[in-house]
Amino acid sequence: MNETVAAPIKAQENSERYKTLIVALTVFTTVLAAVLAALQADASIRADIANRESQYLAVLASGELTRAGLESNYEFIVFGDYLKNLQEATILELTALEQETNGEEEAAQSTRELARISQASADAGESFSVFFTDPRYAPQSENDIPQADQYITDIFEKSNEIVAQQNAQADAYNAWDRKADLYITALTVLAVAFFLFGLAQALKDARLRLMFAFLGVVVIGISLLIATTTLII
Amino acid sequence: MKRSNWLASRFEIINAILIAVVALTTAFAVWRTNVVGSIASDESRDGLIAAIKKQALDSENYRKVYEEAGFAYQFAVKQAEVEALEAGNNPVQQAQAANIRQYLLPNMQLLGQPLATDEKYQNTDGTYDLQKRLADMEAAEQEQIDPSASFKRADSFFSQQRWLVMGSIFLAISLFWLALAEVGSERLRGWQFTLGLVTFLVGVLWFVAVELIFIYMRRGGS
Repeated sequence: MNETVAAPIKAQENSERYKTLIVALTVFTTVLAAVLAALQADASIRADIANRESQYLAVLASGELTRAGLESNYEFIVFGDYLKNLQEATILELTALEQETNGEEEAAQSTRELARISQASADAGESFSVFFTDPRYAPQSENDIPQADQYITDIFEKSNEIVAQQNAQADAYNAWDRKADLYITALTVLAVAFFLFGLAQALKDARLRLMFAFLGVVVIGISLLIATTTLII
Repeated sequence: MKRSNWLASRFEIINAILIAVVALTTAFAVWRTNVVGSIASDESRDGLIAAIKKQALDSENYRKVYEEAGFAYQFAVKQAEVEALEAGNNPVQQAQAANIRQYLLPNMQLLGQPLATDEKYQNTDGTYDLQKRLADMEAAEQEQIDPSASFKRADSFFSQQRWLVMGSIFLAISLFWLALAEVGSERLRGWQFTLGLVTFLVGVLWFVAVELIFIYMRRGGS
């Protein structure tokens, strides 16, 4: 009589064994998922900010390149005009000398007048050119030429700096975005643990339940490994 | 004693109700966190649009300034040429200078305005103050676009989102302890329930505090 009563009780005890453990593991997985979600959100926010900064800096770099292009274009047009007037004045002066040598005094006088006019235009242009007014680019001596290379380097320096900052922000975006993706991977793996614990809870065999619980713990371990590695890198 | 028995007999129901409340609060916190994140993204987007608009206006200002500078430069050079013609002894050249001064220079000066016409843009050496002209053009713009204001607001909302997410962890931990109290042994369930309730209250207080602090900060508190 006793035996018939004890057997169902034992079977019932067997079906309830480890259930508390499974619940505890499920709840622990929930907390872990919350923490991972928080880390993922943080990485995602940082990626968003870095992405926005890289886009903003790209806009600034584009504007600065436009500005530098317009300014250098103006400066080189002024410089080119100055050179043209100066060469005209020199050639006219040489022509006048030649005419004087040939005894054409009146023609030489007229040519010299033209040379003076070209020289006046060149002198006016010189005061407008950064290549003569700025000591960084002005010729060091009378026979030197302006430092056009230095001017080009300087005028694009700011845009190069902005591009470097833009690259740094783009790299930061990629790094944080990768981290956010890895946290998503860890969360996805954690979903498998949820499934295993759910399955374990539904099973009647205590040994099978324990096995699924063990597999779930292994999966949690993998998720933790991914999360920890992501946190460190 | 009677009261204690009443509480013990209804513990699981009270705990289940509290679990439901915590779950609802968590859902609300997650919703609010996402709304804040969405506002932050919108502000970032507005800032980028403002940055592009501002850059377009700046580029147009630069283009206009250097266009004006080119005309003003040509006027200055032509003026120097006329002065050189006038200084000479040749009557033909002097007549040419007079005609250029009368007919050509005024038109060239008009093309080079305001640099060539407004004294405030003229330097003492006869060149032009392009930076002043640029500053005046920027000041004259009706709409003062400032992308940094949107970016600052976006950063504030992003920061709030981060703190709200942290608060959600308290709510998740609260769920953990309350669930343990539901399934745990009778000996420990009181402690587990208290811990869950305290963590829940901390989570709610955290949430309210974060909201209030960020509202205050955005109103210019700091």
